[in-house]
Amino acid sequence: MTFERAGAVMKRYDVIVVGAGPAGLTASIEAAKNGLKVVVFDENAKPGGQLFKQIHKFFGSKEHKAKMRGFKIGDELLKTASEVGVEVVLNATVIGIFPDKEVTVNIEDQLIHYKGDAIIVATGATENMVTFEGWTLPGVIGAGAAQTMMNLHSVKPGNKVLMLGSGNVGLVVSYQLLQAGCEVVAVIDAAPRIGGYGVHASKVTRCGVPFYLSHTIIKAEGDTRVTGVTVGEVDGNWQIIEGTQKYFEADTICLAVGLSPMSQLLKMAGCTMEQDPKKGGLVPVCNQYGETSISGIFVAGDVSGIEEASSAMIEGKISGIAAAYSLGYIDEESLVTKAKVLEASLRSLRQGMFAPENRGKILDKTEEGYDISMNLLKRGYLTEEEVESYPGVKSKKGIHPVIECSQNIPCNPCQDACSKKCILIGEKITSLPVVDKEATCTGCGMCVAACSGQSIFLVDESQEEGYTYITIPYEFLPLPKKGDIGLALNRSGSEVGQAEVVKVKTAKAYDHTHLLTIKVPTELGLKVRFFKQLQEVLV
Amino acid sequence: MSKIRDRSIDIGTYCPQPDDQLIICRCEEITKGEIRQAIYDGMHTLTELRRFLRTGMGPCQGQSCSKIIQGILARELKISHLELEPAMSRAPMRPIEMSVLGNEVKGGE
Amino acid sequence: MRIIEHPILGESIKGKLIKFEFDGKIVEGYEGEPISAALKAAGIMVHRHTAKQDSPRGIFCAIGRCSDCVMVVDGKPNIRTCVTPLTEGMKVQTQYGVVAKTV
Repeated sequence: MTFERAGAVMKRYDVIVVGAGPAGLTASIEAAKNGLKVVVFDENAKPGGQLFKQIHKFFGSKEHKAKMRGFKIGDELLKTASEVGVEVVLNATVIGIFPDKEVTVNIEDQLIHYKGDAIIVATGATENMVTFEGWTLPGVIGAGAAQTMMNLHSVKPGNKVLMLGSGNVGLVVSYQLLQAGCEVVAVIDAAPRIGGYGVHASKVTRCGVPFYLSHTIIKAEGDTRVTGVTVGEVDGNWQIIEGTQKYFEADTICLAVGLSPMSQLLKMAGCTMEQDPKKGGLVPVCNQYGETSISGIFVAGDVSGIEEASSAMIEGKISGIAAAYSLGYIDEESLVTKAKVLEASLRSLRQGMFAPENRGKILDKTEEGYDISMNLLKRGYLTEEEVESYPGVKSKKGIHPVIECSQNIPCNPCQDACSKKCILIGEKITSLPVVDKEATCTGCGMCVAACSGQSIFLVDESQEEGYTYITIPYEFLPLPKKGDIGLALNRSGSEVGQAEVVKVKTAKAYDHTHLLTIKVPTELGLKVRFFKQLQEVLV
Repeated sequence: MSKIRDRSIDIGTYCPQPDDQLIICRCEEITKGEIRQAIYDGMHTLTELRRFLRTGMGPCQGQSCSKIIQGILARELKISHLELEPAMSRAPMRPIEMSVLGNEVKGGE
Repeated sequence: MRIIEHPILGESIKGKLIKFEFDGKIVEGYEGEPISAALKAAGIMVHRHTAKQDSPRGIFCAIGRCSDCVMVVDGKPNIRTCVTPLTEGMKVQTQYGVVAKTV
C-alpha cells in the first residue's frame, strides 16, 4: 500500500517509533512480533538510549531482567529487534509529527517525509538543570554527560568531581565515577534527605564519599574552567545560611537534579497534554495502553512520566501490543490478556517507598513496620545499632548472609539467588528480605553478587579464633589479591582498622562483581563493610 | 480569567536582584535580569518571553532552560508553575540547516 | 584521562590512533571517537567562547543536545564535537561567536 501525496510516493510503515531506547525498542519488538512493519528513528549514532551507559545491575525481579546490567539488556534488545525484523534508522532526527501521522525525519542532508498508520513516541527524557554563579564554565556537566564520557567513550569526565543531586541518577553516577577511577569529593543536595535508594547511597558512602544534605552550590570557581566549588547550607526557605560556606577543590561539577519528559513532539502533534509534577513535567494524557488523545499515537517510557528503564520496557511492550490491536493485527481478547500480565508486572515495580505516588512523602516506617533510618537518609549509611534491627540481619554461628536492606524497593534477586532458601522476600517484591536462621548457608556468595544494591555481605566468625571473615561485593580495579593488607572501612567510609584479604572469588555467574573475603578482628565484624587498598594505584 | 492572561493584575515594578546577571538561557545568553525585566514589561507567558528575548530558541531549543524560566516566571507572577501554559512547540524540533529544510523528499524515493 | 581498563566494561576498545589539529597544534586521538572525547583526553576543556559575553564553554550534555561544545571543524562552524567522529588530519578550532580566530 502506498500513500499518494502531491504526485509522489511516501514511504509507509504500520508503525513509526520515535526513539530507540528501552521503551522504543521493546515497543517495536512487540509490534513486529505481531506482524507489523516497524521502523524506529533515533537521532543518535547508536541505539539503546541510555541503556548502554547503565553499567549497574538492574532492580526488579526476573521478569524485569533484574541483576542484569543495563548495557547487556541493551545488547539483548538489539539482537531481538533485528531477529524480528525491526528496521532501526540511526542519525535520524524526527523534527515533526503532522496530521494523518506524517513524520518528517532529518537524515544526513535530507528532510524525509514518512507516513505511519500508528506512531509510538518514546523520546525519553531531558536533564533538568540548576543555575549558580559559574554554571556555564567548562567542567560543569550533566550526569548523563559523565556517564556518556566514561561508560561509552572511556574517558574520565574529571579527576575530582562534585555531584549535585542525591536521587538515583546522582548516586548511581557517583558510584560509576568511582569505578572509572575518579575521586568524588562530595554528593550534595538541597533537599534535607537523600532522594535515591538507600542501598545506592550506602555503596558510595562506604567508599568514603561524604554527603551534604540541605546544601547547594553557591559558586563554581575558575576563570576558564572549574577549579573548585563553594557550597553552603540552606535553611527551610532554600536560603544560604551565613557562615556555612565550604570550599571543595574540584575540576568537575556533575548535575543530577532530575529529568523532564521530552514531550514536545507530542504537544506539537496536538495531543492533549497535562502538567504532572509526579511524572516530572509536561506529559500527554493517555489511556492504560499508552494511547494519547490522538487515536493511533502512543507513548512509552520516560516521555509519558519519569521512571526507570525497567518500567519503560514494560510500557514499551504494552504500547507495541496496543498499536497492533489498533491496526487490527490482534483481537481485543488477545490485547486484554497480554496487557493484563504486563500491567501486573508494571504494578509490582511501582510499589514501595519509591513508588510514583509516594514521591515527596516522608515515610518513617517500612511496610512491615520497621523504622526507616534517618541516618541513612541524611548521611548515607545505617548505624550499627540500626542495621541489627532489620530482618535481613540475624546473628548466627557459621557463615551467613547479612542483608543491610532497609527500604521497600522493588527487588528480589537475592531470594532467587539462594538455592538453600536462606533468604525470603515473598510475593511482594518490595518486601524487606528476611534471613531464615534455620536454613543452612553454604557460603556460595550468589546472593552477594546478585544484590543490585550491593547490600549483602557474608559474615563468618567460625573460621579463625579472634577474627571475623567478611565477604563483600567488589567492583573496582585493581582487584586485590589474597594476602593483601589494606584498610578496613566501616559503613561511613571511615578507617577502623586493618584487614587482610583471605580470598578473592570471581565467577561468570557473578557478572563482574568480585567477592572479596577479608578478615578483621572479631570486634570489627559488624562494623567493616569495605576494603581499601593501601597503595592507591593512580590510573 | 487566569492570572497570566489578566494583564490588569499589578505585579509591582521590577527591582534588581543580586543574581540578575546569572545566565539562564545558555544558548542565547539571556540573563535572569533580562527575563525578570521582560516579565515586568508585560511578557506573562513562556511563549511571549521566547519571542521577545529568544530564550529557548537557540540550538538546544530550550532543553536546558525552559524549566528554569518557568520557575522564574511563576515566582514573579506569584502563581504555581502548573498554571503556566507550556511554550509553543513546533517543527523543527531540532536545529536544522536551511539547506536541509529546502531538501525535502518523500521517504522511499 | 583515558580509562584503560574498567572493572565492568573491561579493556576499552578503540580504533586507530590518529593525529588531528587543534588550533594549529597536533593532537592525538582515536579514529571514530567523538572529537570531544579526544580533546578531553588531551586535557582541552574550552571548546568555544560565546558571542555576547565571550565566556568559555565546553562539554555540557555530551549527547548532541545542548550545542555548548560546538567548534569550527574543517572550516565549518557550529559542529557539535560530542557527536562528530574524529578523522585523521581533521582541523579543529576553538569557536569565537560563530567563527574561528584568524591567525
